[in-house]
Amino acid sequence: MHDDDQHDELITRIADELRTPVALDPGFDARVMAQVRRSARARWRLALRWWTEPRPLRVSPLGGLACAAGVAALFVVGLVSLRPASPSPIHEAVTPGKVIAAEPGTEMVQFVLVAPQASTVSVVGDFNDWDPSRTPLQAEAAGGVWSVNVPLRSGQHQYAFVVNGKEWRPDPTAPRAVTDDFGSPNSVIVVGSKST
Amino acid sequence: MTDRSDPALIRQVLDGNPDAYGALVARYRERYSRFAVHMLGEREDAEEALQDAFLRAYRSLAQCADPARFDAWLFRILANRCRTAGARRARRARTFVRDEVALGEASAEHPAERREWREEIHRALGRLEPDQREAFLLKHVEDLSYEEMSTLTGAGISALKMRVKRACERLRVMLGEVQHA
Repeated sequence: MHDDDQHDELITRIADELRTPVALDPGFDARVMAQVRRSARARWRLALRWWTEPRPLRVSPLGGLACAAGVAALFVVGLVSLRPASPSPIHEAVTPGKVIAAEPGTEMVQFVLVAPQASTVSVVGDFNDWDPSRTPLQAEAAGGVWSVNVPLRSGQHQYAFVVNGKEWRPDPTAPRAVTDDFGSPNSVIVVGSKST
Repeated sequence: MTDRSDPALIRQVLDGNPDAYGALVARYRERYSRFAVHMLGEREDAEEALQDAFLRAYRSLAQCADPARFDAWLFRILANRCRTAGARRARRARTFVRDEVALGEASAEHPAERREWREEIHRALGRLEPDQREAFLLKHVEDLSYEEMSTLTGAGISALKMRVKRACERLRVMLGEVQHA
């Protein structure tokens, strides 16, 4: 028992001696903090490099398809949102019967009829289901000249004018149609060539 | 008043102020330098291990799960660094403490026997197996409980008790002879 007490005392003396503070080099803190600051700067540089350096990208075929589909969907959504709500107005002055620029796949055709006595004039054709209410002509300032601009797809179209809501007239400046589906004379216009 | 607690300083560092880490270095360097010196024997090696531990802790600070227990987390990193450094050094010639500053202070305060006694302690520590030395220092010098030691080292409590017991026995043999000489 006495021996054990002596041993405990020995261990206590050893521990007390080892608890004495150990002095470090006076520049220890400065060295550590210099490394810390270097590490902080390196971390920013690394973050910047991650964004600026090109890197190989590994994508599975399925992942690649999904990405491509996503990009395509974004592209379509972008196109739809960028498209104007209504057709662009025509600023170019036109002469009667002249074909002018329109949306891709179509050409803007100006229909003109001189009818000084008319109160209303409209154009009907295969492009508006022969409906007199859909494409009215506007009277110009003087001379009884009526006109309207209509976008037409390339190809041959039959049409006629409807005066005062009931009188069908062919275009006096255009060739007549070979067939007459409604028992009235129609005119023919070919869009996509220079003839009108 | 500015909050200088460990969690507040850690928050500042993580928010992009690396200089706030200086306060943590100043707070823990002395306490942990003692352990590193006793584990590694050479002060240069101890400073290197401690510096490495501080730097590793800084780089991994975001992974410190409990900032209020930063001290224990840092100690665990330091203990690992000391083990690695000790294993590396074991391949070289075994050395013992030559802490001239500490020994100088001791000799100025006490007679020559004190200096000799201190050298004998360090020599005996250096002869212990590294895991026994670590367990002895954690238990008797750092005053950790066996539960804390187990968390720190990853070893089981009974294994740690056995290491402490064997370390004490060997120290008694080695230093008891010196004391009775």
